[in-house]
Amino acid sequence: MMAKWLEYARIAGRQALRKRARLLLTALGIAIGVAAVVGIVSLGEGIRCQSVAMIEEQSDLALIEVTAGLHGGTIVPITASKTASIASLPHVQASAPVVKAAFATRQQTYLGVVGGRWDEMVAVFDPVLHQGRGYRAGSADAVIGRDLADQLLRYEGIRPGDTFGVLVREYGESGLPEDREGDLAAVGILQERDDALDTAVLMDAATVTALAGERDTYDAVYVRVDSPENVFSVVEGIEGLGLNANGAFEEIESVNNLMDVVILVLSSFTGISLVVGALMIVNTMIISVFERMREIGITMAVGASQSDVVGLILLECLYIGIIGGLIGDLMGIGFAAIINTVGRSLILDRLGANFAGFAEADITLITPQILAAGMLIAVLLSLLAGIYPALKAARLNPVEAIRQM
Amino acid sequence: MTAIVATERLTKRYGTTVTALDDVSIEIRRGEFAAIVGRSGSGKSTLMNILGCLDAPTSGSVAIGGRQVDYTDRSALVHLRRTAIGFVFQQFNLIPNLTAEENVEYPLLFNYRERGERTERARALLERVGLPERASHYPAELSGGEQQRVAIARALVHDPLIVLADEPTGNLDSKTSTDILELLRELNRDRQTTFVVVTHDRECESLFDRTIGMVDGRVVA
Repeated sequence: MMAKWLEYARIAGRQALRKRARLLLTALGIAIGVAAVVGIVSLGEGIRCQSVAMIEEQSDLALIEVTAGLHGGTIVPITASKTASIASLPHVQASAPVVKAAFATRQQTYLGVVGGRWDEMVAVFDPVLHQGRGYRAGSADAVIGRDLADQLLRYEGIRPGDTFGVLVREYGESGLPEDREGDLAAVGILQERDDALDTAVLMDAATVTALAGERDTYDAVYVRVDSPENVFSVVEGIEGLGLNANGAFEEIESVNNLMDVVILVLSSFTGISLVVGALMIVNTMIISVFERMREIGITMAVGASQSDVVGLILLECLYIGIIGGLIGDLMGIGFAAIINTVGRSLILDRLGANFAGFAEADITLITPQILAAGMLIAVLLSLLAGIYPALKAARLNPVEAIRQM
Repeated sequence: MTAIVATERLTKRYGTTVTALDDVSIEIRRGEFAAIVGRSGSGKSTLMNILGCLDAPTSGSVAIGGRQVDYTDRSALVHLRRTAIGFVFQQFNLIPNLTAEENVEYPLLFNYRERGERTERARALLERVGLPERASHYPAELSGGEQQRVAIARALVHDPLIVLADEPTGNLDSKTSTDILELLRELNRDRQTTFVVVTHDRECESLFDRTIGMVDGRVVA
């Protein structure tokens, strides 16, 4: 059976090669469409790739903040067993379960307090102390972020080493605020790190709950993933526990979603040229069937079935598709190169200095998948375009077909 | 001798006015070399097309090799054309972009024969029809007589029960015509293949075992 189709392929190849100029021009029709799609998609992929690289450069991708999840209207809290499950997920390098609270100084400076173990904080955030030391478990020690420390120094004169009073606002049974008081010791100041820790107060969890009230769940877990590539698998694991995962990876997700839509829309517009190419194939094959009517009749007279005839014609279309796909992929690579050289300066002008990252890199990206898709589109469209002419050929009445001059 | 092809009250009408075949009952025996003669329009070609399973009768029946032909069963018709019937046409009808040898082996392609066997059979037949040195020539490079010899080889390559030749000499000069008819006769004798040859020249009637005359769609004695 296989051998039979190889023989058919040989015969169909001979037929296709009869009118080489026609074969080439028809293939070119589909090739131009493929080239346009390949070029546009490569531009989309290039921009996607650059945007993701920029996000990776500017943010800490391997950090995930886990918060309580919502499942069917009920809150899924972060219990001790959940934190243990998170810590044991593959690719999790370190995790820090924390409680959160809002304190204020006597002069009403807001203090966002994060309570956890210092060693875990170190493992997840890798903080560098600008001054002083880390906090000790069970103490009233506080390590203050750089921006907040500057503010406290400037407006309240609190320096590292000082002890300062804080208020925890709570509401009594009457609904009136009842502030609880406590004292914190500023034992250390973090170096500036351009993230949320710059305005936070880090301290021991037990001290936080002693002031702000006991609780049996955590407010968040900070997770350090071993490398950015594994973030999505860890996120999947976390979501599998019914919890929420937030972080810079979400930006990548949204860039990916956006680019998917952009690429889809752009390639469907350029895909119109593919329709034109396919119609050219339909036209060419109808003419070809018409010209060879007598041969088709003879082929049937000597024993070809209708499906043999359909197969022979579709094989010819397959050749057009393969040639069109090859030429189209090559032209697409060239098209992408042109966008890269000519289009880059134009695009950079429009985007401005924020997108300077695009300047050194290629803005188009040809992947094997794009080229394979180009080839697949060309072949499928050619076969699709061949169906009508092939059926037309197979339905010829052999007696009338042979009578044709 | 047994009948290899038998028709029973075969009728073919086109529309309501034209009757191409009218109540034709004939028998062709195994190994016979039969001629059908008649003017153009007498229904010879229609009969050939029906015998060759290319066309269906309006009424009546045909048996090939002792079996009734079911003209509604398309795949059965294809099978008969593939295995039991060989055609020789007036116009030679070779495929122009295939060589003589490829043209001869073309029917075997649809019979799923191995390439080696196809080539062997095609070569042997080309030699038998006197064209061994023309195997790699294309039809356009051959004379009319040579093309018809290639076509005859093609009609025999799958060892059919019967070869139907529709005016095989109609496009040839009289010398070549005689040669072709004599070749057919020799092949009939050597291979015991049954031949039905449509002709309108009565000069070579002596070559045939039997002559079936047709007038206005009817068989006349």
